[in-house]
Amino acid sequence: MLKPKQMSRAVIVGHKNILEETVDALHKANLFHIEDFNEDGSDLKIGKPFEKGSEVSKRLVKIRSIASLLGVKDVAVAKQNPATVCSQLDSCLDTLDQELEVLVENKHALEAELKDIGSSKKEILPFTNLGLDLELYRGYENLVVFAGHVKENVEPDIARITSSYELFYDQKSGAIVLFVVREKAPQIAEVLAGTSFRESKIPDMTGSPSSLLVDLENREADISKKIQAIDTEIEALKLKYSDLILASNEVLSIEIEKAEAPLRIATTESSFIIDGWLPTDQYAELERTVNAATNGRAFVSSQEITKPDIKKVPIEYDNPKIVSPLQEIMNLYGRPTYKELDPSALIFITFPLLYGMILGDIGYALILLIGALIIKKVVSTDAVKPLMNILIYCQISTLFFGILYGEFLGFPLASYHGEHGIEPGLIPGFETLELFVSPFAAGEMIGFPLHRTHLVMTFIVATVFVGLIHLNLGYVVGFINEKRKHGISAAIFEKGSWIVVELGILLAVLGYLDMLPIIIGAIVFLVGVAMLVKGEGVKGPVELPSLLSNSLSYTRIIAVGLSSIYIASTVNLIAFEMMWQPGSPIGVMTIFAIVVFLFGHALNTALSIIAPGLHALRLQYVEFFGKFYEGGGRKYDPFGYIRKYTEEK
Amino acid sequence: MATEAVVTTMSPEGLKAIGAALAVGLTGLASAIAEKDIGTAAVGAMAENEALFGKGLILTVIPETIVIFGLVVALLSL
Repeated sequence: MLKPKQMSRAVIVGHKNILEETVDALHKANLFHIEDFNEDGSDLKIGKPFEKGSEVSKRLVKIRSIASLLGVKDVAVAKQNPATVCSQLDSCLDTLDQELEVLVENKHALEAELKDIGSSKKEILPFTNLGLDLELYRGYENLVVFAGHVKENVEPDIARITSSYELFYDQKSGAIVLFVVREKAPQIAEVLAGTSFRESKIPDMTGSPSSLLVDLENREADISKKIQAIDTEIEALKLKYSDLILASNEVLSIEIEKAEAPLRIATTESSFIIDGWLPTDQYAELERTVNAATNGRAFVSSQEITKPDIKKVPIEYDNPKIVSPLQEIMNLYGRPTYKELDPSALIFITFPLLYGMILGDIGYALILLIGALIIKKVVSTDAVKPLMNILIYCQISTLFFGILYGEFLGFPLASYHGEHGIEPGLIPGFETLELFVSPFAAGEMIGFPLHRTHLVMTFIVATVFVGLIHLNLGYVVGFINEKRKHGISAAIFEKGSWIVVELGILLAVLGYLDMLPIIIGAIVFLVGVAMLVKGEGVKGPVELPSLLSNSLSYTRIIAVGLSSIYIASTVNLIAFEMMWQPGSPIGVMTIFAIVVFLFGHALNTALSIIAPGLHALRLQYVEFFGKFYEGGGRKYDPFGYIRKYTEEK
Repeated sequence: MATEAVVTTMSPEGLKAIGAALAVGLTGLASAIAEKDIGTAAVGAMAENEALFGKGLILTVIPETIVIFGLVVALLSL
């Protein structure tokens, strides 16, 4: 806790003919982070992949393409024996591949046909209500046909030019077909161009449009059925083979990883050198594994970690299980470096605390807590679980603050005695316990529960104090970090100076309140600034105002909280007071009110994850981390694989 | 004279409310403009490298402090 795992550097050397055994053993042990070898002009060369690699990768490509065509998803299945998986795969990979290819090709052809029919339908549709067979639209020597759409009847315009015409007009759809003698056609075209006429293409078919349309629709239904049949076939294939595909994908991925391992390793003509990292407490295990796999013919030696190496050490967290979900939040920002404190355990306390202070509502806490528990149970992927755990921690804290604030879905639970009389709470008879007048703002009464909406000033001041505590925690951690990296004097001047500055401001405030001579505060403050200049140069004093802006930034705890309360109480107001009076008979308005209530609170629940989460996160990242954290550590990524679908051989 | 005085005096309550509204409204606009620019840049950076999500997120919420300050000023003035 508070420190990344102790790491050791190890080098494994051996003859090339035991390379494969060594790689196998390392992969199985899954604890050695291989440092990729770069050719550096010495006699060492990058190794060549094992021969089986190309064959394996071909099959892997095939398996993956099949998996994507079938839409095989990662699901939890019973683990299988890799040997049987391989033998099954040999026998059915090609047939499966061919079968699937035929199906997919057929499906594509049918889909293309479906598209054609769709466009034909669109062409025919305008002509269906005119009642003319399609062959009547063409093949005339002395007649010209205009077909299209109009917005209003154009007949009077045409009649003015010629009487030798025939017009079919469907008023409902605005479809129009006009037959005119050829010599009048240019004039007619001009007239039509001046109206709202839009020409449409006459479909190249024969027969009555409506019966053609019926035909097309029948064909469409037929093809849809065929596509459905293919889909069920594909689904059946997926059902039958998905276990095998998942398992073999895993087996092959492991094989390929092993086969390509020499590309990361330095070799000479007859020997190999594998350089890498592992947690110190597992060093003995590495030695034992390698020796067992090679009969002691490979030589494992530990290397001293030199100063330039420290930047390269891969980082593995060393946190108790309960804290580990918070590592996701660290990863989002960047892992700590090797010599730095790992703040996961601090975030484990402060992140849910700040989140809870912001949200603080029993109703939302319960909804989100139950939601998170259900999602955690149903979805078992590694990406979702830690997030749900973080959400659960946050909701426990929210529940605590919800009780403290006495809020349930935006309703106050207790009644409140204010200037405008008594406002009733949700629980009849639950009265606010008034304890003492707030020291920060006149007229604000502190008691239980705390009515946030009536204690705004008090909360603004209180949250700034919370911020100052959080920031100073950051300075203390920064002090420890700095001491570890550059010694005690650097720590005092760079981080301790900030605490002295704060102390100076505090003394000055006491001076302002006539409790001390103000000069003491000023002197301490100036000493602090001088230390800061020595520690950080000119940059230090320039950053001084950030002390104010950082601590004021914590007022977002009350600001975002209030916004959530006001959204919730607005929803409640609309639902209960504007739409439906409690006590009135149940009617349409009741249903409306329920819909508004559910929809509004669903929206606010979603916002309750996003807004407090983001702001709590920001307070960690910007205000807290800014005081001490560097980050940018490399991930410890051991050579190996965690099997999900197959058992270890 | 008396009528003139009535016309030219504005209610201090009203002025406070206008001040508070300006504090919240203008800082809100300012935050929005800043976040828009940062947000587009962050999404662009994320398209290149998904690991930048965390940093992008932090950068995007930084200007939100402005509107929080505005809100605090508004609350203080009311």
